[in-house]
Amino acid sequence: MIAVAATSTLSTATLRIASEDDVVNVRRKVKSIAQERKFDGFATAAITTATSELTRNALVHGGGGIAIVEEVSDGMRVGIRVQFRDEGPGIADIERALRGGYSTARSMGLGLSGSRRLVDEFALDSVPGKGTVVTIVKWKPF
Amino acid sequence: MSHRKYMQILKLDDAEVRSRRAFFEISDEDLARLAALRPLAEKHTDDIVEGFYELLLRHPETRKFFEDEATIRRVKRTQREYFLGLFAGKCDLAYVEDRLRVGAAHERIGLAPKWYLGAYRRYLQLVHDRLYRELPPAEAGAAFASMQRLVMFDTALAIDTYIAANAETLGRHQAAIRELSTPVIRVHDGVLLLPLVGAIDSHRAQQITESVLLRVAEEQAKCIIIDIAGVPVVDTKVADHLVKTTAAVKLLGAQTILTGISAQVARTIVQLGVDISAMHTLARLADGIELALSLVGKSIRAKEPR
Amino acid sequence: MIGVIPILRIGATLLATVHVELHDEIANAFQADVLTMIEKTGATGLVIDITGLEMVDSYVARILAETGRMAKLMGTATVLVGMRPEVAATLVRMGYEMSGVRTALNLEDGLALLGKRLVDLP
Repeated sequence: MIAVAATSTLSTATLRIASEDDVVNVRRKVKSIAQERKFDGFATAAITTATSELTRNALVHGGGGIAIVEEVSDGMRVGIRVQFRDEGPGIADIERALRGGYSTARSMGLGLSGSRRLVDEFALDSVPGKGTVVTIVKWKPF
Repeated sequence: MSHRKYMQILKLDDAEVRSRRAFFEISDEDLARLAALRPLAEKHTDDIVEGFYELLLRHPETRKFFEDEATIRRVKRTQREYFLGLFAGKCDLAYVEDRLRVGAAHERIGLAPKWYLGAYRRYLQLVHDRLYRELPPAEAGAAFASMQRLVMFDTALAIDTYIAANAETLGRHQAAIRELSTPVIRVHDGVLLLPLVGAIDSHRAQQITESVLLRVAEEQAKCIIIDIAGVPVVDTKVADHLVKTTAAVKLLGAQTILTGISAQVARTIVQLGVDISAMHTLARLADGIELALSLVGKSIRAKEPR
Repeated sequence: MIGVIPILRIGATLLATVHVELHDEIANAFQADVLTMIEKTGATGLVIDITGLEMVDSYVARILAETGRMAKLMGTATVLVGMRPEVAATLVRMGYEMSGVRTALNLEDGLALLGKRLVDLP
């Protein structure tokens, strides 16, 4: 679970994930916040790419869902938190999915493990048959 | 830092101000009550401000912030405005901006939170005494309660100012460290050199990769030499970072030459099984420079003897 | 959709400049166009310029690598040029090798890699 205790939400936007165009929309939304908040180029690319991966996962493997994009603050720094929710088949073996690695077999696994390395906080909750929730947070680097 | 920057960092907009106001339970009644007390406040402003600074000037640790007459005069003037601001009858974005200006000024001169907060307590004491002297107890009580809410609201802003300033300083230090720890040098057209010195943790490793990539792209350098003779410990993690950096540089279309590989490091890397076969590696920096030059179609040649 | 990604012919080399986000239909059309042009022109070299790509995720990386592989099957060597620092850093951080894809800093170096020189071209 991501520690939400001392974090306050500064803004929130819920976007639909139903088509390929939506992958672009969610990505654009995250990127615009990152640029507005003056994240550097590398951090912006990291959060934007992770968002793209996870949005596509929700679309392709989760049958679609929503992305909740929020600006958060822990009193000292500003961050972007994105939550991807789908009501798809869920992930049976989370450990394996997260291990991903260099395998070209399951594109979802690659997207998950890859995204995890791009962000500061990563949480994955999935119940087979019910759906999946992936939450990521990227803080603005000093 | 300017008060505007604080507003930005603390994301102080109308919604945030309203939320704070609600949490500190500052009602319209409170503000009206304080506004009604303005004449009284004006009457006592001078000696309250005097009393406020008497405390600060009495203690050696705080006195040093107000060494010369000009500073004392200016600061007292600011405090008068500040004090009267409590009786303006509003608690909105403009009010907050004003408060931050004062907070920023105090933070800038380096007055620590403990002094700042202790001084606020003095304020409350001075006002409390005069309220009870000038008004019937019930009224004084209500007035003081209203005042307390607003002063606490201000105190929260003051604390936020310090936190935000610290975060900003930390940021600047990090940026400076990043600059100093990745001195990429252009040794020749299309050839860069990065002499790494000191320990490399994950955080620094990432900064290194980023700096390297930016410079390679900027200079359109075909080759970068990374010398690790000055890195004390080269373990799996460090080796892995170097491999990743090389891979990233390759994606840009350039090559990496690793030099400064000591006997010890060579043993460690092979024993650990790290695959650096994709990298050019050499023991001596000088050899690395020669290799780099040859990769860009140049060579070092002795001059013809006269 | 056809022609969204411009593909120029420079002698026996094709230069594709990716200046928009490569997703879905655009990506598919791009691949199709490249292969059609290789067939038509008999080009032996393909330079894909991704200077304009601010983001490359696993999907785009796959499209690019695939395009290279498809071109290779038709006897055409591919070089990827102009990858941005942020993109390279992100790919490597995610763990994507993008192996099998040749890269160069810019068009000139890309052509050199393919054995052509700007100066020699008609």
